[in-house]
Formats: sequence, structure tokens, C-alpha cells
Amino acid sequence: MDNDRSHDNLKEQDYLKDMPNHEFDEAVNTMQSSIQDEIAASTDLLGDKLDISMLKNEYSADDVQYQKKIQNLEKRYSHVRKTRGDGNCFFRAFGFGYLEHMLSDKKDYPIFQENASNSFQKLMDLKYPSFTVEDFFENFISVVNSVKEGVSHTELLNTFREEGMSNYFVVYLRLITSCQLQSDSDFYQNFIDGGKTLVEFCKTEVEPMYLESDHIHIIALTSALGACVRVAYMDRGGDDLSFHDFPEDSQPTLHLLYRPGHYDVLYPR
Amino acid sequence: MAFSQKRIQKEILTMTTSPPPGTRLVTETMQTTKEFLVEVHGAQGTLFAGEQFKLLFKFGDRYPFESPQVMFVGDHIPEHPHVYSNGHICLSILTDDWSPALSVESVCLSILSMLSSCTEKKRPPDNAFYIRTCSSNPKDTRWWYHDDKV
Repeated sequence: MDNDRSHDNLKEQDYLKDMPNHEFDEAVNTMQSSIQDEIAASTDLLGDKLDISMLKNEYSADDVQYQKKIQNLEKRYSHVRKTRGDGNCFFRAFGFGYLEHMLSDKKDYPIFQENASNSFQKLMDLKYPSFTVEDFFENFISVVNSVKEGVSHTELLNTFREEGMSNYFVVYLRLITSCQLQSDSDFYQNFIDGGKTLVEFCKTEVEPMYLESDHIHIIALTSALGACVRVAYMDRGGDDLSFHDFPEDSQPTLHLLYRPGHYDVLYPR
Repeated sequence: MAFSQKRIQKEILTMTTSPPPGTRLVTETMQTTKEFLVEVHGAQGTLFAGEQFKLLFKFGDRYPFESPQVMFVGDHIPEHPHVYSNGHICLSILTDDWSPALSVESVCLSILSMLSSCTEKKRPPDNAFYIRTCSSNPKDTRWWYHDDKV
């Protein structure tokens, strides 16, 4: 099987090498979109809540480093909910995870709702076009308000599983993040490398869909909404998991699992 | 998808009632909301003053999450370092840097500003090669963006 596959890869490379330019570009784009389609077909935008022990099956039994980290995760967390790996996973995990939490625990709701409501005017102050932003905001705030109005868990889940609604929500979270970065640009500029200005960074790495998030996105989004998030990092570094709280020293409301390039939702025991 | 239709209809309405200066939505020939033409007039005091061009906008089902396809069409294609003679435009917001908060209006404004800041009428250096080898859809090109000074 593996042999077949690598043989196919070689054939594919030869095939690409002989192609004229435009066919090459088209072939690369087709391949990319077929990879995206494959990811879309194999994972929901948001999966069901799974027992945390399921994670063990994703790594080989003799992968000591990961198996040990998963054991430690199991001590703290009972369940995990996976998100689609489409580059929007942090925003989708955050959006659903936070609202889901506030369905049962309303402690954070007033401040979250207030920050959410004020975000539109802040974007207008930065001269964003009300014409497009308004649509995203109205959709976003209606989902946020539905939490107060007693939306059911199933309805909330369906909202985040329906591609149009779900992506509208993600777009607006990206705008809030961008707005926060620009409003506090003196601070955030220090974290931008590659010679981009903060505005360029926002236009090329925050606002476009399907682009992955970094620390700076998490810091900006949590501080814009007054949200408290703990991220459990599970990667090849170190013998044990590491944890980061955003903001530091806060009592986390939402827990996320980070594995290189991807975020899922965690449920504490 | 319902979202994309609703959004395009809203954009058509805005382009009809309050288009950005120097642009006009061509409603006479519009047959579907999935594609339309916008007339663009070169601004006074620039190299393109008095010239008129046509931009073709095409929208896929994933608009506005994905960018529209935008290119110059017709007999008169602006002679600009980022515009190929087949009408394709090298502008990052049309592919990699597209954001759903952008719109037909903001694309028109970017293109107008690109034309206005032009200091010398000429084609991109790789024009002859590009138009011979490119796909008909500019979004299929994996653009390697020129400097953004013009």
C-alpha cells in the first residue's frame, strides 16, 4: 500500500514536471481543493463530544512520548470535541466552546456580551466598511444573544455545524481579533516579525479565512472579549504537556487542546 | 448558498444606488447575479484620465468566504505594470489576501487606486509569456506578487 502510494507520488511529480505553466497552476489548485474536500468530507466542522481516551488511538502504542502526554490529559480532562482542520479551527473551537460553556454557566456572559456588542463601533472607528461588517456583526450578535435567550445545546451545535452560519461567525471573530490588534498596535507591533506593519499583518494573516492562528491571535481575541482560555500544548517538545493561560493568571473558562497546527475543545473533569 | 446570494444582492443594490466615484455597474446587460460588469473611468489628473475600462466580476458559491474572480474585459485593457494584456490583474486582495469584509466596492476602489498611482504605462515584464501560458481563470494562477508601489 505504502509502496503504491510513493510510486503514485513519483508518477505525479513526473507528470507535473512536464506540464505547461497554466496546467501546472491548475493542477496544484485542483490538488489543493481536493485535499480540502477530503478534509471536509471526513470531519464535521465540529464533531461530537468524545471520551478523551479516544486520543490514544490516534498514535501508535509505542509512541511513548505522546501516550504519556495523553495519560496526563486524561487526569485533567474527560472529553474532547474535535474541529475540522481547515485553518479556522481556533476560531471555531473558541466560538462554540465559549458559548457552550456559557449555556450552563452565565458568569462570563455579561462581560462577553458587552464586549461583543461594542466591537462593531470599534470596527467603524477604524473605518471598516459598515456595508460588509454589519452583516457579519448582526449574525454574530444574534448567536451570542441566543445564549441568553435560552437556545438549546443542539441548536447551538447545529449553528456551528452549518457551514454558512459557522463561517459567518468565524469571519467576525477574525475581525474582532484584527480590531484589537490595531487598537493596541504599539503593544502588538513588537510581536510581528517579517517586516510587516501591524495593519499588513491583520490584512494578510488575521482577516483572510482558512489561515491558522498563532499566540498573538489568541491574546488579541481573548483580551477583546474579556475571555479566559487555557491551552494545553501537546507536541514533540518536552516530556510533559505544557499549559498557557490567556490572559496569564486568569481562571480559565474554556480549555483547548493544541496539537501542531490544530485546536480542539477540551472538557475538564 | 443563501448567504452568498443575499450578500451579492446587497452589493448590487449599493453599486446601483451609490457606486464609488468613477465606477458604474452595467445593469443593461446583466443576466444573472453570478456575474456582472463594472465600468471604470480613469481618474482626472492620472495617466488614465479620459479612458474607460470594463471589469468582469464572477462569484462562486463560497463568496464572500472566497474572493470573486475579477478581470478586465473588452477591447480596451489598461496598460499597467500589474495588468496583463488578456485582462488578468495581479492584485493580492483578489486571491491570497481576500477577506470577507472586502466587497465589490472595495475591489473597485483598489483597482482605481492601482490605476491612479501608475507612473508609466507599460505591461508586466512577463506579459508575453504569461498570456501564452495562463489559464482563463486568473484565480487559477499562483501569483507571485510584484512590488506594491504601483
